[in-house]
Amino acid sequence: MLKDLTSENLIRLNIQASDWEDAVRKAAQPLMDAGKVKQSYIDDIIVGAKESGPYFVLAQHVALPHARPEAGALESAIGIATLETPVEFGSEANDPVKYLFCLSARNNTEHLDALADLAERLEDAEFFKMLDQATDPKEVLDYLNK
Amino acid sequence: MYKALVCCRAGMGSSMLLKIKADQVINENNFPIKTEHGNLDSIVGFTGDLVITMDDLAGELKDKVPYALGIRNIVDKAEMKAKMEEFLASKQ
Repeated sequence: MLKDLTSENLIRLNIQASDWEDAVRKAAQPLMDAGKVKQSYIDDIIVGAKESGPYFVLAQHVALPHARPEAGALESAIGIATLETPVEFGSEANDPVKYLFCLSARNNTEHLDALADLAERLEDAEFFKMLDQATDPKEVLDYLNK
Repeated sequence: MYKALVCCRAGMGSSMLLKIKADQVINENNFPIKTEHGNLDSIVGFTGDLVITMDDLAGELKDKVPYALGIRNIVDKAEMKAKMEEFLASKQ
């Protein structure tokens, strides 16, 4: 489940970002601080997006920044970040992005349950309403634990 | 039964989510499509019928694979269903 791979210190609400790169770096920073990824992992996400476009913007207003495990994923984890002001990622279909779920995956299987859970929640308007209204990461965790 | 490769650049996040959603739509509609999961490297030597990926990548792939199905919004099941129907119609 999503709650198994996230935690209070991986959640950042209403952060301010000047552009997409700033947004990704700020959303990913807690994963680095918690020892889930190396700096090189975050850099690889940015380089990948510059080379290939915003391949991780998957649904309206939703990005799932991630890179290959070998770029520097240390432990599987999912960070949750919301932007105070949504920013353009260059995704024709899904801009502007407001919600970032930064994923660190060590292998193909460990995070599957969490991703399946996230996939369900991405269809749930209640989930986004909760993220919009939450002011404390604990509220998000409480919701995920329900 | 048609064989589909679901892939993204990293082969970890986007494509796993995409596979979950694709399988849901396939099951709900009984489409004769079976998915497997991979990354860009899996395309080399892929012998199946179509590749399901995000829209931006589909444009790049369309000359390299038998059929590239590009998804714009991963949670939009109507989009996924319509595009799978389009693929199946192309096989008629």
